[in-house]
Amino acid sequence: MKGFRWLKPLLGCVLLLGSGALWAADGRAGFTSCIACHGSKGEGNTTLGAPAIAGQDAAYLQRQLQHFRAGRRGTHRSDTFGAQMRAAGATTLRDDAAVAAVAAYVAALPKTRQAAPAKGDLRNGNNLYHGKCGACHGGNAEGNPALNAPRLAGLDAGYLKRQFAYFRDGVRGADPKDVPGRQMAMMARTLPADRDLDDVIAFIHQQGRPK
Amino acid sequence: MKKGLLFGLLAAVVAFGAGAYFGRSTKQDVVISSSTSGASYGGGFKAAGDAAEALKTAAASGALKSVAGPAPTNVVVVKNGESIQAAVKAAPAGTIIRVMPGTYHETVYIDKDDIRIIGVIEEGRRAMLDGQKKLNDAILYSGNNFVAENLEIRNYKGNGIMGQAGNNFEIRNNVIADAGVYGIFPQLGQNGIVEHNVVSGIADAAIYIGMSDNIHVAHNDVFDSVAGIEIENSRHCIVEHNYVHNNSGGLLAFVTPGLPIKTTIDVILRNNFVVGNNHANFGAPGSTVAGIPAGTGVLVMAADDVVIEGNIISDNKVAGIIITDHANAANITVDPESEPNSDRVSILDNVMLRNGYDTIKEVKALMLTEGKRGGALDIVRVGPSPGSCIINRHQYVTAGLGDFAECAFTNTAATSTYLLPPVPPRVIKPDERGKVVFLGICSGCHIYNGRMIGPPVQVIQALYLDNPQGIADYIAKPVKKRPDYPEMPPQDYLDPQTRLAVAKYMLDVKN
Repeated sequence: MKGFRWLKPLLGCVLLLGSGALWAADGRAGFTSCIACHGSKGEGNTTLGAPAIAGQDAAYLQRQLQHFRAGRRGTHRSDTFGAQMRAAGATTLRDDAAVAAVAAYVAALPKTRQAAPAKGDLRNGNNLYHGKCGACHGGNAEGNPALNAPRLAGLDAGYLKRQFAYFRDGVRGADPKDVPGRQMAMMARTLPADRDLDDVIAFIHQQGRPK
Repeated sequence: MKKGLLFGLLAAVVAFGAGAYFGRSTKQDVVISSSTSGASYGGGFKAAGDAAEALKTAAASGALKSVAGPAPTNVVVVKNGESIQAAVKAAPAGTIIRVMPGTYHETVYIDKDDIRIIGVIEEGRRAMLDGQKKLNDAILYSGNNFVAENLEIRNYKGNGIMGQAGNNFEIRNNVIADAGVYGIFPQLGQNGIVEHNVVSGIADAAIYIGMSDNIHVAHNDVFDSVAGIEIENSRHCIVEHNYVHNNSGGLLAFVTPGLPIKTTIDVILRNNFVVGNNHANFGAPGSTVAGIPAGTGVLVMAADDVVIEGNIISDNKVAGIIITDHANAANITVDPESEPNSDRVSILDNVMLRNGYDTIKEVKALMLTEGKRGGALDIVRVGPSPGSCIINRHQYVTAGLGDFAECAFTNTAATSTYLLPPVPPRVIKPDERGKVVFLGICSGCHIYNGRMIGPPVQVIQALYLDNPQGIADYIAKPVKKRPDYPEMPPQDYLDPQTRLAVAKYMLDVKN
């Protein structure tokens, strides 16, 4: 009997592993409906207006999916890609558990980077990024879950610009229940010029890139 | 054929000769001034009253400088094992607290006037405040006429000695090492002396004069820090006879944009040793101080009426003196209400040796446009600095100084001090409580729209929207949320009403 003392904790481990695998399987199944637009690795597709999602913070992904499902995002008439996301994506996930599972699965995918970094004045981008963005999105645009701030480093310039304009113009982050969105909306109104956004995006694309 | 070739050659020789000749002739145009016989800088501060004149005379004659008023007669003694804070609490305003040698693990808050904390040094042993890398601040004073002397301060995470809107302070003969973000940091004070301190190993400024007026910084030994001595958003300051070595940047006079007080005016940097400030910059990446190029002797950024005289500036690898503006500085977010240029910088005689031997690429590019080879650089100016001047410019290797005029004065001998007899305490109207607390405490790390030490106020406004109570609660018991920012020290010594007042001010402020 003495020799079997280790069995019980081991059994626990097997059960845990089993549930983890189930979770992953559930997430993987949910992810199949994302692939058509966001790519098989979650790397995004600029022509379809689909951002890179691989390795994005799970809580952020979950929150956005719930926003789409509840009509807090993607309902404004100028947000046509958001409307597609509402129709094609978020509604196919049957419940909160399915949303959580796919968010966890996507968050665990390897992070991607922009192959061709956007161009701009990197010094101006650096100064503005640290002055306005980095306090929440992290010094290297890696995101910060503690502040509900998503990773920006892997996102394409078109998506970043579009969302920035949505925040600024009240298309996104206007719902009272979307508190992080409202926070971003307020900051989006403080950037001096459009040209500055190009510079900030150029800076973001340099982050995490081998020098 | 041969003739043609010869003519061509001859023409080339003539052109070369003419070039050499004209080159020589410009060299002969040098204006040589004597700093001992020319006019003197009149100073930018006009003190009122006989007392001010009397103090000036005393300072000029070499008498001991004092701004804190007559010493209190009430004396208490704190011994090793006892608490300095307990003694401060028990003491009436107007007390000298003598601290015997020993080790004190505490933060001392002084919110009453006329308190002097004077260490007793016995055979080299000092009263040491040791934060054990757990405590944030050693000494925070908001009282007026505060004096701190003969202390040793080590292993804090925030500040060695920080003043919060106290006037007439004297901070001298202290040894401060590894004390966090700022070593000695009087904020929002008028009429203060910082002298004979030894300050090292500070992650931002070893001595940081912030939003203050009439300050004298002298005879300090400042090293192994990111910024040595910083005069920031302050007016009428003299920085003299300091030894500033092996920092990333030595002496700095500048305007940090996004602070509530927008100017730095009338700073005399004279007779300092500014030597080998080449320490790697260990400021948090992206923060203002991390933008100082490691290897900077003197940095003037957006400060007006700075006079640089009589310093020995040597072995600073980027440049001996850099004069720049907000647009050209790194990690600076422009503030539309801050005038961005360094106006009227005056460079008088300085001894400059072996500077700029390994400068940054932006400066190299500028030197190339002026046909200078590099390898040495004493003074560089980037960005506008209208009304600036220099004497004996031929002594130095310079870049970007083409429009500097000859100075109308050659020395600062006529301006011995900007110190005053004790000035009245700052008047705080009841409805300005939040503002003054913000200026005196928070703005040491938080500016409106840029990254100083903590996150910008603008970001805090977005995060808290219409929830001042959320800020008031957070500052009492902060939680670290940002891996690349230092931890915020708790401000629980402020009462709940004050915390709420400052939170409301932060959410309302527009710049």
